[in-house]
Amino acid sequence: MDLVDLIAEKRFIGQEFLTWLWWKSEERGGVVALPGEGDIVVVFEKHMLLEYGEGDSNESLICRGLQTELQEARTGLVMGKKLEQARIQLAYNDYEWNFTMAAALMEFRNVKLPKTGGDSGNTENPEEREGMVLERIFLFEELVRIVLELFRLFLQIRVGDEWRDELLKVREWVNKAERA
Amino acid sequence: MGFIKGTASYVRFSVEGELPENIWDFIADRVVAFSFRDIDETYEEDSLGWVSVLNMFDTEFDYASYAAGNYVTLSMRLDERKVSSTIVKKYVQKEEDRIKKEKEIPKISRSMRVEIKERVQNELMRKALPMPAVFDLCWNLESSTVLFFSTNKKAQALLEDLFKESFGLTLIQQIPYLCGEHLLDEDDVEKLARITPDIFV
Repeated sequence: MDLVDLIAEKRFIGQEFLTWLWWKSEERGGVVALPGEGDIVVVFEKHMLLEYGEGDSNESLICRGLQTELQEARTGLVMGKKLEQARIQLAYNDYEWNFTMAAALMEFRNVKLPKTGGDSGNTENPEEREGMVLERIFLFEELVRIVLELFRLFLQIRVGDEWRDELLKVREWVNKAERA
Repeated sequence: MGFIKGTASYVRFSVEGELPENIWDFIADRVVAFSFRDIDETYEEDSLGWVSVLNMFDTEFDYASYAAGNYVTLSMRLDERKVSSTIVKKYVQKEEDRIKKEKEIPKISRSMRVEIKERVQNELMRKALPMPAVFDLCWNLESSTVLFFSTNKKAQALLEDLFKESFGLTLIQQIPYLCGEHLLDEDDVEKLARITPDIFV
């Protein structure tokens, strides 16, 4: 299958992951336990984009606001919309990133690096500059690594026997939005 | 902005294909061979090539300035001459009116109209200043992955072509499904291929 077809056919995987991660983070008040790594702070904040339909009939719904106001986004899920983008705060090992995850293609958007990440364009010393470039690369890649570890955790459950129970819990959480 | 400074948007690609043994010599050679060529003093419509991530006018890469540890850091620069369709329309109409008056004819034939449009478009294109755009990338030689600092689809397609031409290597965007193939063991990859969308309500 070529990449264009693969993207269209499998875009649900990234979107299901993002929805699952939202539930997973709320299950323990913004913390997700990652095997081998420990606890990771994952907070869904301020901005979400949900999608409905495919191709020409594609519609989207943008939800903005404080965490508690994301109720509207959950109502969107009840209506059958898919979570496509979310602004996330992720903290691990004294580092804190803020970024928007675009789920279908796994794009990292508007990534704000942890404060330790210096700007590398302001120095004339080549060694110092290289050091700062390497630090930024490390922080970009570390974010990818952690997100992929979370994704691995999701996929192992998703393709395994536990998924049936996990899905029931996610459904219960989504449906709470309707009753709220 | 992005890779070097401030907030950044990026996507991940895997690099498929074999690099020769003398990796750094090969890269040095290819980066310079496919470096950006200026079109400010020519009439060319566009130009695409590598520049330094720190300075878009640097195409010399002294002391292998693109190397940082086990990474290659480059910017893809695209200069394009563009003329808006409104401007073309205006000058075509102007030229048609001028010809009608000069030749004392009431109407311009279809073939003449096509010829006028082409000529006007070429003239305007020559006068247009090339608009530059720069997109950063960071190539991890150890893991054979590239972070590309743009979510623009056209820029991604240009990158795939330039990377292939420069290094003979194919870039494959790491969408979630393909990431999954790298993350799971063989049995689970087979199960992943079979899953279908689930309903979350």
